[in-house]
Amino acid sequence: MFSSLASLQPRQLAAQVLNFALVLSTAFMLWKGLSVFTNSSSPIVVVLSGSMEPAFERGDLLFLWNRGMDTQVGEIVVYNVRGKDIPIVHRVVRRFGGGSAPLQLLTKGDNNAADDTELYARGQDYLERSKDVVGSVVGYVPFVGYVTILLSEYPWLKTAMLGFMALTVVLQRE
Amino acid sequence: MSDSHISPYSLNDLKNTTDDALGNYLRGLHFKQDNSKLDFRLAIGYTAVAIAAVTFVADYKLGWDATKNGTAVAVAAYAVLNGIFTYWMYFVEKGLIFEGSREGRKISLASRTKKHTPTYFLTVTSALDKSRELDCPFTTWFTEDGYFVAKPFQQWLASTVDVIGEADVKSAVKDETDSSQVPEVESNGTPSASGADARSKGTKRSKRKG
Repeated sequence: MFSSLASLQPRQLAAQVLNFALVLSTAFMLWKGLSVFTNSSSPIVVVLSGSMEPAFERGDLLFLWNRGMDTQVGEIVVYNVRGKDIPIVHRVVRRFGGGSAPLQLLTKGDNNAADDTELYARGQDYLERSKDVVGSVVGYVPFVGYVTILLSEYPWLKTAMLGFMALTVVLQRE
Repeated sequence: MSDSHISPYSLNDLKNTTDDALGNYLRGLHFKQDNSKLDFRLAIGYTAVAIAAVTFVADYKLGWDATKNGTAVAVAAYAVLNGIFTYWMYFVEKGLIFEGSREGRKISLASRTKKHTPTYFLTVTSALDKSRELDCPFTTWFTEDGYFVAKPFQQWLASTVDVIGEADVKSAVKDETDSSQVPEVESNGTPSASGADARSKGTKRSKRKG
């Protein structure tokens, strides 16, 4: 299998490696391009908990848009708790400010009994729209996100997938 | 070259092995290979990859907010470079497998295959003849098991491409028993292409055994 690589001229080997590098970098740049387009640091997220049932189930893939800065009550937003990197998907139940004052939001999961005040960082009673919110949900695909959940729960899967991809792209010459 | 074998049913393998053999053969005949087109493609490609790598590191170290505008610029630059890369590959390189020159004679060879047809299509552009497409079935130089045999391949090349025939006159001569291909080489003017005259000429090919 690798003998076909050994017989290559150095430039051809460089070209094969470039093919694989381009696959990775194009995927990454497409992701970044989507981030720039939606103005969101993470334009596609996976639902990890059941706190928004029956609207969203665990494993749903959500598409975010972060250019609508005047978020209304009833919109579903994804936000990061200050200091933690876990995105939470909940619905806006109250607004403060807006207009000239910075917009602040209170959120609550549909399937939760209480609002998110306990989830926020200590001393934080509301979300800042401009700082904490990653984006509002504009669309979703059910169940597809389970792949991401699997990849994060079994990290060896990521290595295996990447290794397999590398083999097939570098050894294939088309 | 014949110690490894490929699947004779894989058109891709057949073409790639033939392309590699052609390159090796011509380099062995002291053709100086001109890699400028491939180098340009590699340069563009690796520059794009470098931009992506820098963007990745910057985003990892500095976070989204700080790198937002830089990322937008990087994405645009990457798209442009990728466009140039694709254009170069499809329109300029267009199947090119060897480009070079020998003793002032330039040659450019591009190959392709057609789906489900076991034929090697070779487009030759050289100093001696204008761009023309030759074709030959892969069975001419591949055994049933998928082993590549160099001699018939070299004979075909030397007898149908003038510039190669000049460089490798031995192969340009057809075996008397091989009646399947008619030598077309006459245009280079010298009678040295035919076997009988080679013997009488006492040139460097006189080492050739009967």
